Amino acid sequence: MHEESLIRSLLRQVEELAQQHHARAVDEIEVEVGPLSGVEPLLLQDAFERLKDEFSWPRAELSVLQVGLDVLCQSCQSESQLKDFRFVCHQCGSTSLKIIRGDAFRLLNVSMQVDDSFNGKPQATATQHSTDACGLPLNEQTSHP
Amino acid sequence: MPTTTIAVNQDVLAAKKQRAKEQRQLFTTQGTFVINLVSSPGAGKTSLLQATARYWQNRFRVGVLVGDLATDRDAGRLRPYVPVEQLTTGGACHLELSLVQQGLSRLPQQQYDFLFIENIGNLVCPASHDLGEHVRVVVLSTTEGDDKPGKYPKMFRTSQAMVISKSDLLPYVPFSVEAAIQDARLIQPDLVTILTSSTRDEGLQDWCQFLEDARKEMLASRDADAAEQLTASEKSVA
Ligand SMILES: Nc1nc2c(ncn2[C@@H]2O[C@H](COP(=O)(O)OP(=O)(O)OP(=O)(O)O)[C@@H](O)[C@H]2O)c(=O)[nH]1
Ligand SMILES: [Mg+2]
Ligand SMILES: [Zn+2]
Repeated sequence: MHEESLIRSLLRQVEELAQQHHARAVDEIEVEVGPLSGVEPLLLQDAFERLKDEFSWPRAELSVLQVGLDVLCQSCQSESQLKDFRFVCHQCGSTSLKIIRGDAFRLLNVSMQVDDSFNGKPQATATQHSTDACGLPLNEQTSHP
Repeated sequence: MPTTTIAVNQDVLAAKKQRAKEQRQLFTTQGTFVINLVSSPGAGKTSLLQATARYWQNRFRVGVLVGDLATDRDAGRLRPYVPVEQLTTGGACHLELSLVQQGLSRLPQQQYDFLFIENIGNLVCPASHDLGEHVRVVVLSTTEGDDKPGKYPKMFRTSQAMVISKSDLLPYVPFSVEAAIQDARLIQPDLVTILTSSTRDEGLQDWCQFLEDARKEMLASRDADAAEQLTASEKSVA
């Protein structure tokens, strides 16, 4: 299972973020998974428990938010949540649907304790994390041209 | 000490996906069409590649990177036909871009028209990892059952084509080609489907035609993009 490699990627990102913010401790890491994330929440927790001793803040907790599979119809523009993996629009029957949520493993929030003197502000030189930092479409796992 | 919550809201694989996208652009520039072959263990990926090489008979320059948990067996089977490099994962259940890039540097440095990446036999984990390919092709053999697409939705959703392999065994197994296609298209309505037998060299014309057309399409859109950029730069000069 590839959950360990995903947790390693996650922890690397959290380490970086904590460093930028001069964190004294990381308390909680909140992630999102959905039906097409390719991640099993239980295996994810297991992998986290196994690997967190390698992490600078082994007392941090992982909280996993499970979301549904939300799609946007390319024909009628309506949004809906699929109850199974039948890609058919509930409104108009079109099969041309774009996934807008539920197909990725996302880092949502990181709660950390910060030093007063820095006021929780990142270093001036640090790269700011933001949604879509790479200019990537964050939905649909593979975007082939 | 104050506690603060930093909102990140980002795909954990975003940076890796970006690198895969850059690798894909590089392949496109080089004119190399890249296929990521995925399936459960033993569905017939290596056999399909052997049959493909036999069918093309050096009409195209083909290279293969083959993932293997521990052995060199698949690479050995392909070596009589094409340049091949083995990617040993040391037990990992899927290939990642970094392994592919290492393998690329070991392949004979020449022009390739097609590069096949044979992934680790696994219908789950490889679905999450973009290797910079142009198409992902899932191989489903007739001995696995026609109900598999719905059981591995992410793999079928992220594939552009499905090869139903071992068609020669259809008389002996309870497998409905129509049912498998129907099941897969509920998840991925645009899925291209091709029926093959590597032992009898059946369906290879359809399969190879699909690859040749897809490569032509990639080259045409690359050249159209380049022409558009040229016109834009001419306009800005004028
Ligand atoms: N009857 C029949 N057998 C096939 C066909 N293609 C492959 N096989 C057999 O199926 C077995 C597995 O084939 P491979 O080509 O090794 O499958 P693979 O997907 O590369 O296997 P892994 O790399 O181990 O996951 C071998 O014994 C092949 O001879 C086919 O078209 N018809
Ligand atoms: Mg093989
Ligand atoms: Zn609709």
